[in-house]
Amino acid sequence: MTATIPAAVEAPVVLDPTPPTRLRASRPDLLLCGAVLAAILLVQGWNTTGFPALSDDEGTYLAQAWAVQEGKGLAHYTYWYDHPPLGWLQLALVTWLPAALFPDVMSVAPMRVAMLLVTAVSAVLLYVLARRLGLRRWAAALAMALFGLSPLSVVLQREIFLDNIAVLWILLAFCLAASPRRHLWHHFGAGLAAAVAVLSKETMLVVLPALLLTMWRHTHRDTRKFAVTGAITACVLTGLAYPLFALLNHELFPGDGHVSLIDGIKYQMSRAGSGFILDDRSGAHAVLRSWLYYDRVLPIAGLASAVLLLAAARWSPTGRALAGPATAATILALVALRPSGYLPAMYVIQMLPFLALALAGAVSAALEPLRAQIQPLRRLRSGGLRRPALLRRTATLAIAATAAALTLPHWYDATRTALTTDTNAPYRAAAHWLRDKANVPDPSSTRVLADDAIWLDLVHAGYRPGTGAVWFYKADLDPAIGKTLPRGWRDVDYVVASPTVRRDAPTLPLVKAALTNSETVASFGEGDGRIEIRRVKRAEAR
Amino acid sequence: MVVCAVSLALFWMAAFTLWWQMHAWRTPETLAGTRFQPAGDEGALSFSLLVPARHEQAVLEHTVTRLLESTHGRFEVLVIVGHDDPETAEVAGKVAAAAPDRVRVIVDTHEKKNKPKALNTALPHCLGEVVGVFDAEDQVHPELLTHVDHAFRATGADVVQGGVQLINFHSSWYSLRNCLEYFFWFRSRLHLHAEKGFIPLGGNTVFVRTDVLREAGGWDPQCLAEDCDLGVRLSSTGKRVVVAYDSEMVTREETPGTLMSLLKQRTRWNQGFLQVYRKRDWRRLPTLAQRMLARYTLMTPFFQAFNGLVIPLNTAIALLLDVPAGVAVVTFLPAVAMLVTFVFEVVGLHDFGAQYGLRVRFVHYLKLILGGPFYQMLLAGAAVRAVWREQRGRSDWELTRHVGAHLTREDVTP
Repeated sequence: MTATIPAAVEAPVVLDPTPPTRLRASRPDLLLCGAVLAAILLVQGWNTTGFPALSDDEGTYLAQAWAVQEGKGLAHYTYWYDHPPLGWLQLALVTWLPAALFPDVMSVAPMRVAMLLVTAVSAVLLYVLARRLGLRRWAAALAMALFGLSPLSVVLQREIFLDNIAVLWILLAFCLAASPRRHLWHHFGAGLAAAVAVLSKETMLVVLPALLLTMWRHTHRDTRKFAVTGAITACVLTGLAYPLFALLNHELFPGDGHVSLIDGIKYQMSRAGSGFILDDRSGAHAVLRSWLYYDRVLPIAGLASAVLLLAAARWSPTGRALAGPATAATILALVALRPSGYLPAMYVIQMLPFLALALAGAVSAALEPLRAQIQPLRRLRSGGLRRPALLRRTATLAIAATAAALTLPHWYDATRTALTTDTNAPYRAAAHWLRDKANVPDPSSTRVLADDAIWLDLVHAGYRPGTGAVWFYKADLDPAIGKTLPRGWRDVDYVVASPTVRRDAPTLPLVKAALTNSETVASFGEGDGRIEIRRVKRAEAR
Repeated sequence: MVVCAVSLALFWMAAFTLWWQMHAWRTPETLAGTRFQPAGDEGALSFSLLVPARHEQAVLEHTVTRLLESTHGRFEVLVIVGHDDPETAEVAGKVAAAAPDRVRVIVDTHEKKNKPKALNTALPHCLGEVVGVFDAEDQVHPELLTHVDHAFRATGADVVQGGVQLINFHSSWYSLRNCLEYFFWFRSRLHLHAEKGFIPLGGNTVFVRTDVLREAGGWDPQCLAEDCDLGVRLSSTGKRVVVAYDSEMVTREETPGTLMSLLKQRTRWNQGFLQVYRKRDWRRLPTLAQRMLARYTLMTPFFQAFNGLVIPLNTAIALLLDVPAGVAVVTFLPAVAMLVTFVFEVVGLHDFGAQYGLRVRFVHYLKLILGGPFYQMLLAGAAVRAVWREQRGRSDWELTRHVGAHLTREDVTP
């Protein structure tokens, strides 16, 4: 008896005392991870083409991947160092085979399937990372489920965003950094993966200190200097490939008549700030609201957990184990708080895995004292100690039930929307209309201004890429395209007026004039989301 | 296209070499495994320690006296001197007289002297179960024998190779690199060889079971790298070799005094490696992977020389000529591998300093980096020289032997 009593008052063991070194060989892990993965694949894969609405950025990246596949360089317009190209290079690689077999599927909606693959790999990596950081099986599964099933994740991870690709690589980097074998080349690989993450989406740069922290914690004193230096070297040298590439193209420094990496960076740094995120009149606040509209649990509770874990790192083993991911989430949150910074809607994608880990870790840490007390007490069935055990178990269940009650109804509604709504019917109809020879007899000599999302569909329909099917803003912003339109809007045949085009037209004179001097010949959808096909009134112009 | 192929080949060579060089630091467990296990007892084996000495009157007494301080109970020291070297013989006689039950003097009467002949002369006189070899200028740790004894018994090894470390990194720019080369070789790379079952042994602090050594016929008197040759022959017949490195217990040595003597020493080694390669004992290794490792290792000096010269050239081509960006990136790969190697060398130097309690200053790191290309040139020079000598030797074997013997005499006992 006396032998078991001290166990009950011992400091709670929060972390799994024996994390398996080979997850591959652990059957329960495989089953659990596989089950959660199946759920994620189902929820994310079902109706992925119908919801959410096709976004302009998706079209941009996929079109650039298409340009790579077609051997047109890094973009079918002049590549201007807006983002490092590695993200869509990978996209081009992944979609190469399907695109070669069925050229028509190389457009935004069908290619969202590629992101399903990315999400699947990321989710598994997150599970592995959680286990490697010492979380128990159920907590790792919780992290994975939060990451893959939160309505916010479902919306954003379905879309073809570079951020999703970057998340995969940074998760791989964290997994390698937390390698249980503490292998020098695993850490070196972590550096490489981190560089690939940054070259896929440059904002990952701010997460690197958190990665370093994780690596530091998971290296042995005797080999640490080799491991950490190796990782940093790998990361820096790989990262330098990008400026080197620019240098070899004579496009590192600004100069007349050509784009440059420095100009690209200047542009990104000088993008108009979207204001302070907590100021409810700012653009950043609108972005925040759009996130919270889909899910409050992961962003709010996740961030709170991250901060708590960091604050408690001194005395909580979970806090220390999860210090890396918690730091990553916190850094990303602090960067988002910068009032002068530009906050894009997909920014939160990079935070999702870290928020999920932090939340799962915090839940695990909170429940563990209960668990630690229940277990020894279970063994004392004979005594009068059974009631407190029952009480605690009830308390645990009550907490879990409350959390579920607060979360699940909203998640259910949002998931149902994601699984059933078809928001992209107007796009498909518009693409179909423009493909119909009865409407446009000769696409190859027809000039259409369209947004990026529908652009690849037009290319597949026979419009000349770049000069026949024109990204609408390039008509105003790219001098090379401007030259092909000597008479301005009068050289345009059609405008596909999607919400994006209507939103941006006021700042683009040519597009604006084309919209003004055109009439709707077909319209799909209703309200603000409608897509109009407008024919430019050339007769009047002449 | 050619440039790409060359670049990729260079990259893989550099990457493999780096991979092997960093072997010991792969995991904390690997690193721990490279050390001697703590020896719990006094030891059970008996040792015969061979100390060939030629014109070593200045240091021999100190070396033997230090050997006699060994904490191990059962060992004898056999000092081997030449019949034409009375000064060294006198010192040897003096130390033998001071400890008659421990030290014996063996006189080598070969007309042309070299180290393998001296060792072979002493082999029949060995009474111990294990033969150990030390050079006359070595500083040997008193507890080394006890640990080696334990290593033999704990692992069932036929051969135990202890660490050898050049220490005087501050003497000159090349001694810095030379020290570091030893550090990576004995601290790390040799362990990989032991693990893979193919190992070129070092010239001293090497211990072999006497019966195994006699069975193998001792050392090859014609070979300029008799130590490497012995290792290759023993591992080719499946003998188990164990390597242990403890900064506490390494045998400390000094780098060659001049750049020229370093060049000569390296030429001799390279030529020796080439001879061992051509002797083809390594072909008896059981697995293809082992044979490839043997082939690669024995040819390493020449690859290294080639690498050191071609990589900068390759990078220059990429930078100066107008090649497509994709090709240019490929041509940078070998340079990247080289940069990573440099970085690990810097970290290695730091670790070297920490292990030996030596103060490594910023200027040393600077010397390490700046000296890199020049050291590569030295290595390349030695490699070319070795090939030239070996080629010349093939047409005129007698003359080469003469030259080789001369070289050996000059270099082994500077």
